[in-house]
Amino acid sequence: MSSVEEGGVAVSGGVRFLGQRRSYWRLLIRGAALLMVTLGIYRFWLATDVRRFLWSNTEIAGEALEYTGTPLELLIGFLVAIAILIPIYAGFFVAALDLGVLGKLSGLIAFAALGLLGQYAIYRARRYRLTRTVYRGLRFHQQGSAWAYAFRAILWWVVTVFSLGLAYPFQLASLERYKMRHTFYGDLAGGFGASGLRLLIRGLPMWLLVFAPLALAVSSFIGIDWRAFAETLAQGGDDVMARIEGSNPGLGAAIVFAVLMGGVSAILAALLYPAFQAVVLRWWSSGLCFGTIEVRSHLRMRHVYGAYARFVGYAILFSIAIGVVGTPFLLFLAALGGVGRLAAAGEIATTFVALVGYVIAALGYSTIYRATVLLSVWQLGMESLQLSGLSTLNKVKATGRPSSALGEGLADALNVGSY
Amino acid sequence: MNSGAGIYFDGVTSARRDVIVELAPSGLQISNLEGHPRTEWPYDEIEGLAAPENILRLGRRGSAALERLEIRDPSLAAEIDARAIHVDRSGSLQRRQHMRVIGWSVGATLSLLLVAWFGVPAIAERLAPLLPRIVEDKLGDAVDMQVRGLLHPHKAGTALDCGTTAVENPGRTALNKIVGRLEAAAGLPRPLRVDVVRQDAANSIALPGGHVYVFRGLIDKADNADEIAGVIAHEIGHIAHRDGTKALLQGAGLSILFGTLLGDFVGGGAVVFGAKTMLQSSYSREAETAADSYGADLMNKAGGNTHSMATILGKIGGATEPGMKILLDHPETEVRVAAINKVAANQQPSAFLDANEWAALKQICAEP
Repeated sequence: MSSVEEGGVAVSGGVRFLGQRRSYWRLLIRGAALLMVTLGIYRFWLATDVRRFLWSNTEIAGEALEYTGTPLELLIGFLVAIAILIPIYAGFFVAALDLGVLGKLSGLIAFAALGLLGQYAIYRARRYRLTRTVYRGLRFHQQGSAWAYAFRAILWWVVTVFSLGLAYPFQLASLERYKMRHTFYGDLAGGFGASGLRLLIRGLPMWLLVFAPLALAVSSFIGIDWRAFAETLAQGGDDVMARIEGSNPGLGAAIVFAVLMGGVSAILAALLYPAFQAVVLRWWSSGLCFGTIEVRSHLRMRHVYGAYARFVGYAILFSIAIGVVGTPFLLFLAALGGVGRLAAAGEIATTFVALVGYVIAALGYSTIYRATVLLSVWQLGMESLQLSGLSTLNKVKATGRPSSALGEGLADALNVGSY
Repeated sequence: MNSGAGIYFDGVTSARRDVIVELAPSGLQISNLEGHPRTEWPYDEIEGLAAPENILRLGRRGSAALERLEIRDPSLAAEIDARAIHVDRSGSLQRRQHMRVIGWSVGATLSLLLVAWFGVPAIAERLAPLLPRIVEDKLGDAVDMQVRGLLHPHKAGTALDCGTTAVENPGRTALNKIVGRLEAAAGLPRPLRVDVVRQDAANSIALPGGHVYVFRGLIDKADNADEIAGVIAHEIGHIAHRDGTKALLQGAGLSILFGTLLGDFVGGGAVVFGAKTMLQSSYSREAETAADSYGADLMNKAGGNTHSMATILGKIGGATEPGMKILLDHPETEVRVAAINKVAANQQPSAFLDANEWAALKQICAEP
């Protein structure tokens, strides 16, 4: 190996992805089948298989990462999370029956509490994943308080929602700084240097494109006499629509316009999403550092669009396949339903087939998404990285110990997990 | 082949070391390029770890440090695989583990379904009578608030309850007469509350805590007071059996069983929803049959015309029947009618209301 200097560190800090698409497809399809057979219990095994594949096929400066987590740890983490969550859910159930203020607010309190717990879980799950990531014989680890992170994250979400998303870049930067400041590779401390303002400038054109139609939609309601509208509505009756029309002649046109603009905004948002993802990923990667090791990303937006195009292509093929296989089944069952005495059996069979069909379709689309978009984004994100200052890699010392999988379990039970 | 090249990380620092790996009789001898031995790994302590396809990555079982040895030479890798039992490059250990997972999760699913089918109703059956009355009243009040919100006609100037104005009051008196006679015959431990509400569907419901709502649509469809009495008797059956409380307990039990433990994958929500709906419909069908039988007995005891319970059922049941039988929360109407007629006592019934009172009850929702 000519690019390796004396201490065994590659001079050029490239990142390669060695995984074969075909192996990943095989892994995911088998996993989806087993998920269905085991009604979801296999997900701990599948998540571990997926991470093993992604980690060990990612080669940084000549050495592949390693994922050392086990499915059993995830299963236990999930059971512990269930033990914690069931009393909480039961508490909310009882509180909702209360007739007083508590009962009225219980929905809101539950939403806030579960949101906070979700952010807590995200931080703890990240800790689990980092301590199960081994590189050159050393593990990563994460310090910091998951509760401090959760409160910070919730406050930022509130700010982001009220600023109509304009605070989102600063939220990302702040939360990422907290995470990376507490992240270590051995004794090498991590950090995050990207600025929220820069991301805001990059993302602003997209924000304007999505929100301009919405602003137009809102402005079309300015001329409406709301008091008359509310009074008509309160009176009720069968001819309420006609009377609303009478008191507010412009309302119908305004509603049509607003719906149209809402549609335009949604379509623009969907079309711009890959670009947004690429911008954020590139900005985020370029902000990462470990000690003297710095990261630069030159991710291309059109490659991310390519990944989504592949997803759409496969999804269309899959839909056609479902239609071709499913139609004869449905025709047969419909015929069966017509035969009087077999009707009850036919009903059970139809329900069963519809349910299985729905599950196959849902799992199919999700598998296609994981094998196209998620894999490509991982691969593109990794391969676009350029690392500098790698000479440190020779003398990092081991610290940190593995953490429990409680965070993963909570994230799983609250549906905030990823990968 | 007895030795070859490897890459070694000692787990203490991140330094990468080229080493020579030798297949000694008891373990792997790892030495540096000058031939100085560095460490020896007994074969039974070696485990295979996740790695790219063309690399065999080894670690030491139970070692606190994450020592790693990487072999890129395929023939040396095969030799090590043959000697170390915990190196599983063919994946047969993993496949066996997968089979165990599948087997046990199918078993767990079956046992969960059995618990849902037999256990949950049995637990609710035994738990409902143990609930203190104050808890049940509270539950009833909470459900009542929600139900009233759902039933309310949402029209300005229209009240939900019938029988409150001067025009409607005689109807209320007639209703009280029916309820009083049934209540006396039933001997319930708690007072009953029966109200007629402005709802066009031909239906009636009983809530936990003893509150019965009769819909106006039912009174419109009925041809005599005994038919109304029959329906109320059926609802009293639900209250005597505490079916509302049981249904709440069953719903909570099923949610915990299915919602938290199973089905957390894409599309799994539909499976959980389907299973829950089917199970709850089946619980409900049993409760309806029991309430019919209680209601028929009560009509016999109160000296009413039990057959009219069957005739009103025939009138309201037929219209709401189409659709899927397994999702139906009531048994089939013909079966119910036959069962009621079978237990109807062979007695001379005394009518619940006279003609004037019956006319008044028909007008209980006279106001718009």
